[in-house]
Amino acid sequence: MRGGATILVIDDEPQIHRFLRPALEAAGYRVEQGMDAANGLRLAAARAPDAILLDLGLPDLDGQEALRRLRAFSAAPVIVLSARDREAEKITALDAGADDYVEKPFAVGELLARIRAALRHVRARDGVAEIWRGEGVTVDLAHRRVTVDHVPVQLSPREYDLLSLLVRNVDRVLTHRQLLTAVWGPAHVDDVQYLRVYVGQLRQKLGPAGVRLIATEPGVGYRLLGSELRG
Amino acid sequence: MEQDRPDPDALLAATTRDGRGRLKVFLGAAPGVGKTWEMLNQAKRRQSEGVDVLAGVIETHGRAETAGQAVGIPELPRRRMPYRGQDLEEFDLDEALARRPGLLLVDELAHTNAPGSRHAKRWEDVEEMLAAGLDIWATLNVQHLESLNEDIARIAGVRVTETLPDRVLELADEIELVDLTPAALRERLKAGRIYRADVAERALEGFFKEGNLGALREIALRRVAEHVDDHVRDWMRANRVVGPWPTRDRVLALVGPDAAGEAVIRYAKRLADALRAPWIVLHVERATEASDRRPSLALATQLGAEVETRAGFDLVQVALDVAHARNVTHLVIGRAPAPFWRRWFGRTLGYQLLRRTPEFALHVTPSPALARRRAAPAPSGGTNWMPWAAATALVACVTGAGLLLGGMIPQEALGMVFLAAVVAAATLQGLRLALYTAAIGFLAWDFFFIPPIHTITIANAHDAIGLAVFLIVASITGLLAGRLRAEAQAGQARIDGLRRIGAFSRKLGEPTTEAALLSEIARQAAAIVDGPAAVLSASDQEQQQELHVQAAAPEGGGEAIDEGGWAAARRSWTHGEPTGRGTATLPDGAWRFVPLRTARGRLAVLGVRLADASNGPRLQALDTLADQAAVALERVRLTGQAARAEAAEETQRLRTALLNSLSHDLRTPLTGIRGAAGTLRAAWDTLPDATRADLLAGIEHDVARMTRFLANIMELTRLESGEIRPRILPVSVGEVIELAIGRVPDAAFAPVNLAQPVIQALADPALLEQALVNLIENAVKYGSLGSAPSIRAAVVGGHVEISVADEGVGIAAEDLPHVFDSFYRARRGDQVVPGTGLGLAIARGLAEAMGGGIAAQSPRADLPVDGSPGTIVTLRLPVAP
Repeated sequence: MRGGATILVIDDEPQIHRFLRPALEAAGYRVEQGMDAANGLRLAAARAPDAILLDLGLPDLDGQEALRRLRAFSAAPVIVLSARDREAEKITALDAGADDYVEKPFAVGELLARIRAALRHVRARDGVAEIWRGEGVTVDLAHRRVTVDHVPVQLSPREYDLLSLLVRNVDRVLTHRQLLTAVWGPAHVDDVQYLRVYVGQLRQKLGPAGVRLIATEPGVGYRLLGSELRG
Repeated sequence: MEQDRPDPDALLAATTRDGRGRLKVFLGAAPGVGKTWEMLNQAKRRQSEGVDVLAGVIETHGRAETAGQAVGIPELPRRRMPYRGQDLEEFDLDEALARRPGLLLVDELAHTNAPGSRHAKRWEDVEEMLAAGLDIWATLNVQHLESLNEDIARIAGVRVTETLPDRVLELADEIELVDLTPAALRERLKAGRIYRADVAERALEGFFKEGNLGALREIALRRVAEHVDDHVRDWMRANRVVGPWPTRDRVLALVGPDAAGEAVIRYAKRLADALRAPWIVLHVERATEASDRRPSLALATQLGAEVETRAGFDLVQVALDVAHARNVTHLVIGRAPAPFWRRWFGRTLGYQLLRRTPEFALHVTPSPALARRRAAPAPSGGTNWMPWAAATALVACVTGAGLLLGGMIPQEALGMVFLAAVVAAATLQGLRLALYTAAIGFLAWDFFFIPPIHTITIANAHDAIGLAVFLIVASITGLLAGRLRAEAQAGQARIDGLRRIGAFSRKLGEPTTEAALLSEIARQAAAIVDGPAAVLSASDQEQQQELHVQAAAPEGGGEAIDEGGWAAARRSWTHGEPTGRGTATLPDGAWRFVPLRTARGRLAVLGVRLADASNGPRLQALDTLADQAAVALERVRLTGQAARAEAAEETQRLRTALLNSLSHDLRTPLTGIRGAAGTLRAAWDTLPDATRADLLAGIEHDVARMTRFLANIMELTRLESGEIRPRILPVSVGEVIELAIGRVPDAAFAPVNLAQPVIQALADPALLEQALVNLIENAVKYGSLGSAPSIRAAVVGGHVEISVADEGVGIAAEDLPHVFDSFYRARRGDQVVPGTGLGLAIARGLAEAMGGGIAAQSPRADLPVDGSPGTIVTLRLPVAP
């Protein structure tokens, strides 16, 4: 099933394309290359890639604007290639609909894992799984039931909302803003300390599995790790 | 809520006292009441409680009872000071500080120290020891208090010369009144327990009269009561006792140039103290008053007044303006002697103020009972008879001329001629001479010209009227002319003062560095005093301890400062007051030190060696210089600080730019290297050979890129540190351009356009090639794809111009001035064009190192307006001869 997926790489650095094409092709993907935003958007519309790698520092168009235009017509998962010193940019991109990010310089293996997770998430979203399992934790979205090693766990409504949101977006980074808006409401988008407290409680209640499952993305948000990324 | 809190000022005052020693003053109304005895008595009790009591200085005055009391208390040996062939004994301040006793006894606070001591007065020794943390007990007679000086003189008929400022008493944490009734004191005196019999005899009739003693006792009692009151207030303030606090009073003292001024100042001080009100001493410099007759404003400053000097003719109006502007509630004036006409017409100062100031309390101080002492005898005072003789001669001439010309002048018109003489006298010498001239003119006219001639009787009624009119007109004219002259003189004096200020500020405004300014200040000061001058300040601004000579005039003049001079300089620095020659502190040294300070704090100390401490204008000029110098010094220091702050900001900006650039320019090749290496490792077997080779080549390419980047940084660093020394020689520009093009691979170029077949520039070939490579790389990077950079060279006006042009996105107008700055990269939105941001900066550095220049133009003038703007960067070099 892996074969055949098309990845669009939009980056203005030839050196990036130089190694990404063979790396992606060796992993069984088809690769499309865009050297700037205009070219990239055209390819995204014409070739309908399964996933897009987007560099935010493009010569002809602001990366955020490119993402906004992309999202206007494409639901393909977008992985942002960004720099560590552009934290704010990264968060804005995630809020604007990017699915994930990798920091330059990134390891090829990590990038491939992120791509796999993103592609799988698309499939999961298509056929909504009612029950999610990982590390002995079972989340039954239909019955609002959570068990660890078959033992039911009592979660407060907020804790459950938080966990179910993470489960629905498994493998995706959810920014602080996204989590706070969805669970606490738009008035609390800046109350990051709520999140810290609730995530802490959630990890505690889920036991050792909780720590392994819920990953902190420092300064950005949280992500529930699917089997691929726990690897 | 707010008011419930303890007053922070009061708490602060309490805490700042903590490091200080505590002072207890045994206050007596007169000598002989037993202050020293009482102090020793109590000290012995403390000694028995285990306190380390040391008698710093005890004056027994040969009284057996006191001497007996002193037995058993260890005494500090006196310091011997040679003075004019004899040894004077003085309290040893340094030894006392070194011994650090638990309690130090110091007799006679008001004592004047022997010449050559560190401080002029003993109370200053005490002040220093308190600051050093010693607990001190001291004795004081009330008549020595500065503010009571006038009263004492009036009561006792003796002017006390050893005075001390009232604030010394305010320093005391505790005041104990040693009280004895006048009768008992006189008994003691009679019994010979105070002075020897012959002295006592005289004293009983003089200072120790019963009435005197009673008055002094009352004053002493009142001072102690006031002090207690102060403490209660401080305590209430510090302990947030809600009180009915009196509304804020403000005292304004009006002083003139006469001796009454001192009495007014002392009275105002006492009034202000009693009211706990701020006080202002106002001196109105009147136009009719010579400017060198200044009242004793120094005394006012010393007593803690705010001194204000205004210029104006109408004393009352100026005083009222100030009083209203400052919300004054109490006005203090002296009972100055007023001319008879003022008294007759109700124009005395007191009367006018009474009439025009219903809202103030008006205090009129008693006039000094003693013979009026002039603050300073007017230098030109009265002894100069020349003008009077001249005026008499003038009238004689006019009379003679009138007699000679006889009938030619109608005798009524002669009045006009006499009037002219009066005006001349007034203009030359002032009002008094004018009135004198008018008087003798009147007599001469009457005597010689008005019938009956040669008598001073007048026959005709109309002559009498004429004469009367003459007298009135002459008086008024003389008055006006005299006033005019006085105003002109006062104006001149002020102009002189302003000119001096102007000259100083001009001279002090020129230097831009602190060192140059300090030298200029020293030069100016040396010129004023006609002797050596030096500017001293602490080299370490943070610590502010060690004083050093920062500048001196003449060069090395600061070395002439002796040990005493240094002590005075340090005191001037720490206390912010003038010290040394002619001041209250260390007055016997050769040097005088004036602090240079502004509202923001002390800056330095200006020292001069004064030959004559009583030269008023010279000292005034020195003070003016000190004021101007302080302002100029502060300006230079602030400018320096601002420049440093700007430089720091620039450094910070550069650092941020460098970090951004490093982050981008290192990360991109690193990503390439890591990605290629990772791909090769993960899929070595599955990758085709060609791809493997390409990935390896990619790694090499990225490594080269990073190397180039680091080399650029190194190059720029060397350029900026001046390490690169160009070898300038005639260079064929065309050849260097070809070499440079060869170093930028994978780029297409339009043919190089040379205006002449051979162009020779003066340059370092290697540096020129590097500069061109940077410009070309830049053009390739920023030029649009597919368009080739074009390079041309020509000789324009004695310069070789090499320009590299592209048809790219151009440079925004706001970026244009900065493109040659290090790490500056034109930003468009969030996009960053790859590159180091160093290429153009290096090109400029190289061009400048070779004596050339560089400039950028965008949009290009030679491209169509609707296309890409494009950029031309032009390198200018000297043409080879």
